Amino acid sequence: MNPRRLYRRFASEVLVLPGRTTVLAVCLVLLILPLFHRHPYTLRVLSLTFIFAIFAASWDLLSGFVGQLSLGHAIFFGVAAYTSALLNLQAGLPPLVTIPAGALVAVLMGLVVGIPCLRLKGQYLSLATMGFPIILTGLVYLFSDLTGGELGVSGLARLGPTRLSEYYIALVLVLGLGLIMWKITDSKVGLVFHAIREDEITARASGINTPLYKLLAFCLSGFFAGISGGLYSHFMRVAGPSTLSVLTSFQPVIWTIFGGVASIYGAIAGTFVLYPLMEFLRVAPELRTLIFAALVVLVLRFMPEGLTPWFIDRVESECPRCKEHNAVTRRTCRVCGAPLGRPSAPGAGPFQPGKGGRVAG
Amino acid sequence: MDSAFFEIEGLVKRFGGLTAVDGVSLSVDMSEVVGLIGPNGAGKSTLVKLAMGLLRPDRGSIRFRGREITGLPPWEIVNLGIAGTFQNTRPFRRMPIIANVMVPCLAPRARKRGEWVKRIEAKARDALEFAGISDLALEPASHLSHGDLKRLEMARAIATEPDLLILDEPFGGLNPSESELLAKSIKRLHKGGRFGRLHSEGVAMIIIDHKLSDLLPIVDRVIVMHFGRVIASGLPQEVVNDPQVIEAYLGREEVEGDGHPA
Repeated sequence: MNPRRLYRRFASEVLVLPGRTTVLAVCLVLLILPLFHRHPYTLRVLSLTFIFAIFAASWDLLSGFVGQLSLGHAIFFGVAAYTSALLNLQAGLPPLVTIPAGALVAVLMGLVVGIPCLRLKGQYLSLATMGFPIILTGLVYLFSDLTGGELGVSGLARLGPTRLSEYYIALVLVLGLGLIMWKITDSKVGLVFHAIREDEITARASGINTPLYKLLAFCLSGFFAGISGGLYSHFMRVAGPSTLSVLTSFQPVIWTIFGGVASIYGAIAGTFVLYPLMEFLRVAPELRTLIFAALVVLVLRFMPEGLTPWFIDRVESECPRCKEHNAVTRRTCRVCGAPLGRPSAPGAGPFQPGKGGRVAG
Repeated sequence: MDSAFFEIEGLVKRFGGLTAVDGVSLSVDMSEVVGLIGPNGAGKSTLVKLAMGLLRPDRGSIRFRGREITGLPPWEIVNLGIAGTFQNTRPFRRMPIIANVMVPCLAPRARKRGEWVKRIEAKARDALEFAGISDLALEPASHLSHGDLKRLEMARAIATEPDLLILDEPFGGLNPSESELLAKSIKRLHKGGRFGRLHSEGVAMIIIDHKLSDLLPIVDRVIVMHFGRVIASGLPQEVVNDPQVIEAYLGREEVEGDGHPA
């Protein structure tokens, strides 16, 4: 494809939609930010934001899309953090090997958690998932010779030689893995995930082997959560029991619900706002958690579906005829030419087949 | 006689103390349309759920093309070629209609290897076209009227290209013109042929309904259930004149003290 055609396609698929343009702008700003501002503290906070954004998106993949509400997502994060740490310290393997290895162990953990959870639904499933990180924490304390007990495993190899390189590693990974997760949810597999969340019995009666897909979701989610866990342990140079704590399990839930569930980009956006905010609130250490909680509650009062759906509702409108999205400034639909009235009530679910597919050049 | 196309033998299903299906045996031939009627609570819907694999029978067996399918999970039964609709429609509410029908197109039975999403969408569109709701393809299922939801159920079932289609009260809640449309599409489906990308070789059907006026003209044979048992089976005209059937539906003339609900 020649460059002009490529540009025209880019313009017609990305630039016409304010939502996509915003994503692109944020990516570009983050990519060039270190050119202007490279304070180690800023880079550190942003790198951790990127790592946790992968974690939040992996939660969204399992709980937002497939509806398997996991309240023990730390199991995947923690098991990968410990695996990477131990492989690095005991076997001397570099992060390039230990992080994927940790992610693979998290995939196996996905099977361990997923198989008993196939028989559970709703709040029972959530309770069961909550139990797994607690069991693993017990094992960590039990084998404290190997795991360091409360202190954890420390002295790991750094993720990259400099803060700047670590920043870019984390940034590239959050963008790349975020894109991969979004592509998964936009594919045929994603369609089945949506269907299982909406009505599992109908999905079965449609000939879908739902247990298989649910296990797949547990493993995929475990894989991405595992990568973020491995990144975290190498970035912090320590893997401790806090990676398995209840707080670690709940953080992705808060970030994702704040950003907007079942969209992947919502989870990432939520983390991008809330994690740095929590760091910024260190200016008032005693009130930090209180202010944070109050802000989250207030924001969700006015954006009940989360940040990204609220934002998209403001800048884009849905064509009543072909359901394609348009910039809110347009009077007619860019695809079918139908006149655009006031945006209709938010009706359709998060899934839109062929989104961005049928776009006139 | 070698094994029938679809055969149920001595099927029993109990819910606590209630025996919903009590030793039912019946068979359906290839490309036969069978009507299953009976008063409320006769066990028709339970029978259908057993056949679809959504419930496990306590006793008895179900065979399809000579293969034992009792106790198989529902998706395997669909992939062998039995599809059914739900009496109380169960769409994927927050998904567009077209996506609702794309899901069964992804089942192993309907999918060819390496098919693209676009092709699956086209196939789902053909199923919607067939059911007569293609103009609503992009609306979320939660916006549909009852009649359209019934048609969506139908589109979802035929998208798997079944050999045996089980329709649970397809006429329930439809107005006369909607019923007529549905009866037409059922006849078309039974005749077989190609519908866009969908292919049918004269589907066998089991249709459950109360509205005998809609049901009787399109079926080859009627089976009547009452209190979990088959009480009559035969040609439509024979069955509606069967005294037992009239009794089950209308009650006996000397109602006093026989225990049957009127």
